[in-house]
Amino acid sequence: MKRLSFILSLLVVLSMLLAACAPAATEEAPAATEEAPAATEEAAATEEAAATEEAAADLEGTLNVWAFTNEIRTMAIAFEGLHPNVDVVYTMIPMTNGEYQTKVKAAAGTADSPDVVALEAAFVKEWVEADLLADLNELLPLTEELKTFPSVVEVGSYEGVTKAYSYQATPGAFFYRRSIATECLGTDDPAEVQAMVADLDKFVETAAKIKECGTGDYFTVGTPGEMFNPFLANREQPWIVDDELVIDPMVEEYVKFAKLMRDNGYESQATQWSEGWFAGMNDTLKDANGTPKKVFSYFLPTWGLPYVLIPNSKSDSTDTGGDWAMINGPMAYQWGGTWVGVLEGSPNSELAKEFVKFVALDEENLTNWATGVYTNDYLKAIDPETPDDQAQAPGDFVSSQVVVEKITSSFDGSDLAKWLGGQNSYAAFAQAAPNVNGALLTGSDDAIQRALNDPLASYLNGDITEAEMWTQWLDAVRNEFPDLLIPEPPVTE
Amino acid sequence: MSLSKFKRNYYGYFFITPFIIGFLIFGLYPVYNTLALSFTDTTLMSKNADFVGLKNFTRLFADDVFMNAVKNTWIIWILNFIPQIGIALLLSAWFTNARLKIKGVGVWRALFFLPNLLVPASVAALFFAFFSFYGPVNQFMVRFGFLPEAMHYLQSVPITRGLVVFIQWWMWFGQTVIIVMAGMTSIPVSLYEAAMVDGATAAQMFRRITLPLLKPILIYIFVTSLVGGMQLFDIPFLLTDGRGSPSSSIQTNNILMYMKFASSKGHIGAASSVGVLIFLMTSICALGIFYFLRDKDNSEIDKSARRFFFKKKSA
Repeated sequence: MKRLSFILSLLVVLSMLLAACAPAATEEAPAATEEAPAATEEAAATEEAAATEEAAADLEGTLNVWAFTNEIRTMAIAFEGLHPNVDVVYTMIPMTNGEYQTKVKAAAGTADSPDVVALEAAFVKEWVEADLLADLNELLPLTEELKTFPSVVEVGSYEGVTKAYSYQATPGAFFYRRSIATECLGTDDPAEVQAMVADLDKFVETAAKIKECGTGDYFTVGTPGEMFNPFLANREQPWIVDDELVIDPMVEEYVKFAKLMRDNGYESQATQWSEGWFAGMNDTLKDANGTPKKVFSYFLPTWGLPYVLIPNSKSDSTDTGGDWAMINGPMAYQWGGTWVGVLEGSPNSELAKEFVKFVALDEENLTNWATGVYTNDYLKAIDPETPDDQAQAPGDFVSSQVVVEKITSSFDGSDLAKWLGGQNSYAAFAQAAPNVNGALLTGSDDAIQRALNDPLASYLNGDITEAEMWTQWLDAVRNEFPDLLIPEPPVTE
Repeated sequence: MSLSKFKRNYYGYFFITPFIIGFLIFGLYPVYNTLALSFTDTTLMSKNADFVGLKNFTRLFADDVFMNAVKNTWIIWILNFIPQIGIALLLSAWFTNARLKIKGVGVWRALFFLPNLLVPASVAALFFAFFSFYGPVNQFMVRFGFLPEAMHYLQSVPITRGLVVFIQWWMWFGQTVIIVMAGMTSIPVSLYEAAMVDGATAAQMFRRITLPLLKPILIYIFVTSLVGGMQLFDIPFLLTDGRGSPSSSIQTNNILMYMKFASSKGHIGAASSVGVLIFLMTSICALGIFYFLRDKDNSEIDKSARRFFFKKKSA
């Protein structure tokens, strides 16, 4: 009897131990979304050699910065160089499938909340319109001093309060291969090629020429997805007006255009940001039979040049550098951009404001950023643990017109200009930037546009009809925005 | 006196206190909180939330997005479970068969279990790369003449669903083999010997001895697989765009819940309503399985066992 009760109590203890583990396991799904970010890395712990002059050594503290790329880490290290007592803890969470957006949303207002967040153009408005970002109106006078492009400030403002600033302005461009232009269009001169793609009709004519000339092995663009931004930028109305979804005629135009590009074989069918899309940039694209394919052009904005096109133009055996040219393309547009804001309730709000000021509104930093001062050596002198690919290549287009005017001529004859066959990209972007319209961006763009990707891909592929595509997309939007009025689909069976 | 009496009667409660506390905080409270949230329009991006009654639930049934997610989840789970349990029973029967005497059973078992150790994220990324338009599968299929031209595998509904089913099966059948084998080896050999003496065939022994005695194990596998299947998330989420594309064909319950949570304003109220419905559905199904597969013969044994214990106690 006694032994039995001993065994029973032992069993109770054991089962208790086992059972105690069980809830933890079943809670895994919700916990996964809240757990500390996977890629937390401390940007700098030691700042022995602060090479630059110590302008304001009075700042001190630890600053948590979250971003979706490693770009701002470069500035964070430079910031630590100026302020040796500041420690910036940098966390990078990729934007794939909206992961970054979800993490920041879930962390805001909790104990894990970062101090400074980077916000991409697709969702910056959502944050600016909500009440989670701190009021940064006190930095506004600096934008006048630096002549920050008005559209950049407009995007970061809502109802008279500016909450986010950007170091970039992001007008778009059309990059094409000079060799293919010479072969198929008879010239590689930017002005002449611009005339051949000046509007959509001419663009389609040119696409037909390129296909014929390459006997089907030349594609005009990699994906229609990269052309979505030009169409979006030329809408009359934003996605949401008075709580109702607006399907602007340009959206329907885009669907028609994408279908035309696909059905005629003018695009490579690669997925944007996938291997095939990048392979086209360095001439290593091969179809399933192993036949080499070439892509004539890419629609990319300012940042696309230093971050996407140039790094991907080289492979082990090929290098397309120097064979590119840059023009405006069929439509003026803008695409992307990174804004920075301070979360309301941050315990380091003063330091966070200083950081935002440094990142977006500091003439010296913007100049260094755009002209390639932040080399690996420069960064490693501040933080020896800087990764080797952290250096900022010259050429990113900054938001301050003062800086742009000062540095534009420095790109004449630079490596960047050589890469573009002698063109000064900075001068071209400087001409396009004032035309950018910030008023079309709303807080819901990201979710609405991402919801269209899959139905559109199925429609282009011929798996569903156009009517089904619109219905699927509108259903998806309705599920994301329960309170939004959804119009009838533009095309029905 | 009181202390010793207290000890004897109640010290068991002390042992279970940590579990009870842990369960209340980490098990019961989230369930309660989810239920409470599901009646509100709480979002992550705004500070106020209102009680909205059943609005979140009526919205789920206003279009067929939710029912489509439920349908997808069931299709994927059933198509994965049937081959999983079938192959597991077959392999286990072979491995435990005294006549076949298969060599290296442990090695096989370990090999089958290996996929389970892979991180779902890397498995999904691997399959995504394999089946992308410019990927190796297309190269193989076209160069060897199986397909006239490259195709978008991950934009085809049957192929994408099939891939999810295959990955789930491939990652989990090894685990099922191990559990089924453990159950089979615990069946006394004497039963089979007796059956052989009576001239039973292998098929008869499997149907009359193995299956009935394996029933508790099978119910366990059935229920755990159902619960896991209803919560399927990682592979379908990572294989395509995180929205269950193409045409929402691999959008499972949990992906829909996550999408509502991760939507631009972060509608946790609406996400909770999906969670509540998944919870109800899974509970009802699990209880149903227990009810329909309960062992009618065993209840007799239970009674006699109870009688045996009570007799002993009173003695």
